[in-house]
Amino acid sequence: MSQESPRQTASTDARQTKPLRRWVRRNGGPIAGKALAYLALTVLSVVTLLPLLWSVASSFTPLNDIYKFAVPFSWHALLPTNVTLQAYQDLWASTYPRALFNTVLVCAVTVVAGILINSLAGFAFAVFNFPGKRVLFILVLITFLVPFEVLALPLFVIINTLHLDNSYQALILPALANGIVVFLFRQFFIDTPRELLEAARIDGLGWFGVYVRIVIPISTPVMVSAGLVLFLSQWQAFFWPLLVTNSPSYQMVQVALSTFSGQYVTKWNDIFAGSIIATIVPLVLLLTLQRYYVRTIARTGLTD
Amino acid sequence: MSRREWWVPYAFLLPAIVGLVIFRVVPTIYAIGRSFYAISFGLNPATVFVGSDNYTALFSDPTFWQSVRVTAVFNLIINPLQTTLALLLALLVSMRLRGIGVFRSIFFIPISISITVASIIWQLMLDPQSGLLNGLIEAVGLPPQSFLTSPNQALPSIILIASWIGVGYWMFFFIAGLNGIPPTLYEAAAMDGASSFASFVHITVPLLRRVIAFVLVADTTANFLLFAPVYILTHGGPQGSTDLLMYEAYNSDFVGLDVGRATAITTVLLASLLVVVGAQLLLLRSSER
Repeated sequence: MSQESPRQTASTDARQTKPLRRWVRRNGGPIAGKALAYLALTVLSVVTLLPLLWSVASSFTPLNDIYKFAVPFSWHALLPTNVTLQAYQDLWASTYPRALFNTVLVCAVTVVAGILINSLAGFAFAVFNFPGKRVLFILVLITFLVPFEVLALPLFVIINTLHLDNSYQALILPALANGIVVFLFRQFFIDTPRELLEAARIDGLGWFGVYVRIVIPISTPVMVSAGLVLFLSQWQAFFWPLLVTNSPSYQMVQVALSTFSGQYVTKWNDIFAGSIIATIVPLVLLLTLQRYYVRTIARTGLTD
Repeated sequence: MSRREWWVPYAFLLPAIVGLVIFRVVPTIYAIGRSFYAISFGLNPATVFVGSDNYTALFSDPTFWQSVRVTAVFNLIINPLQTTLALLLALLVSMRLRGIGVFRSIFFIPISISITVASIIWQLMLDPQSGLLNGLIEAVGLPPQSFLTSPNQALPSIILIASWIGVGYWMFFFIAGLNGIPPTLYEAAAMDGASSFASFVHITVPLLRRVIAFVLVADTTANFLLFAPVYILTHGGPQGSTDLLMYEAYNSDFVGLDVGRATAITTVLLASLLVVVGAQLLLLRSSER
């Protein structure tokens, strides 16, 4: 309580001075700080949003208008006056829908099979004790720390030699077992009450039965987070799909986009429309599931 | 678990471990092994053991050293930059301000933007003739810049593009870390008359050391292997100024058709990645004491 007394004397002092000066003295520091914070937040938001606003606006703008309003800069660059869907119609007629279909298919299979495979492994690491556990867990940790991209080139040489390129298997299989996802599941399952598992065992369930009937139903949050990681890893994949596919029948969305921007260098409206579509799908998913993402995935940085 | 069930954990692990061995361990061994082989030319081209020839050729090649230099400069700038900005941004959006949720959501958007899309959008943003950025620069009366087409500005442009999506992403790891710091610590410090800068140095940074280490390491491993912007925007140029090692490895295989050189570069990348990650972990662990 003795800590409070100086503050009280300060405010009694202040009562005798002019109201404005008193108000500034009491709130001036925080207000200046807040104003500064809002300024910084606004500037950074503009930096984040400006390229996106321009992309969205330009995807609805006739091609000539894009060039006309960017340099010299006019507000019409961000607020289109002649709205057109031409760019989206162009895309619809191109190989882009096929790439979207491929990507959705690859993502769906990867998410479902990946959740199953990695959750089984995470469960084993969290619940069982067995010879070789340490070594296998270190293997998982290393694959968590060293990104797949560094191994993509040698893996491609192997796959190419075996003539397994240009196939859905080549796109899906390497992405299934994922060190980060195993780790996410292990961290979640480690807190499962043992009594729950033991009770189910006494009721005569096998371990796989325990996993299906007891573990899966209680692990929705981690499944959603793991699903997001797996989904993003495929939706945003570029290097591996670029290496392993050269036929449009198996092209993935990011590769299609880069090919597109290389071939139709001048069709800026089409390039923007393609970029918007490639971004809107993960954006909607991430904004809906934001709290799972922040709670679980960002927390992997806290534990080791 | 009874004795008869010794195989249960292995059965649970089998699919994941098989996947990791085939798609992570095998390529690692293959990369190292293949880097000691080359294709012999002649009537019957064959893969023959050449010892360290691929490495000797690589280490005496100025293109490779240029690429090493670019990769080193790029990483020495981008990783501290992104980590610092992400931490500052996390502190900013952790302030108790009206409407802060809106700002958080804005900075969340870049997570859904792939590096490919970021490269493509910024290619048009930075276009010297018709790009929006030069439009804005000219609007405030400054001369237009050449960005990706200039040997001096191309690498900084790629740093800008990668950071545009990277900072928001890593910010969320710091927010999770900041949420774990008990507010009572700050209250106690404020009562003792500590300034907010002092409590940042003496409370926030020490308690966030693990998250800082994690972000720095994870960010470095990602940027060490950055490929898409170079492939899409510059093809390593102008004058080799953006020739990151990942692109150099890709180029050796796809353009130079030299798998020996490509796998040798991959092995160099893999080894340096392990050294960088290990050194950072050691550094941060020793500063803990």
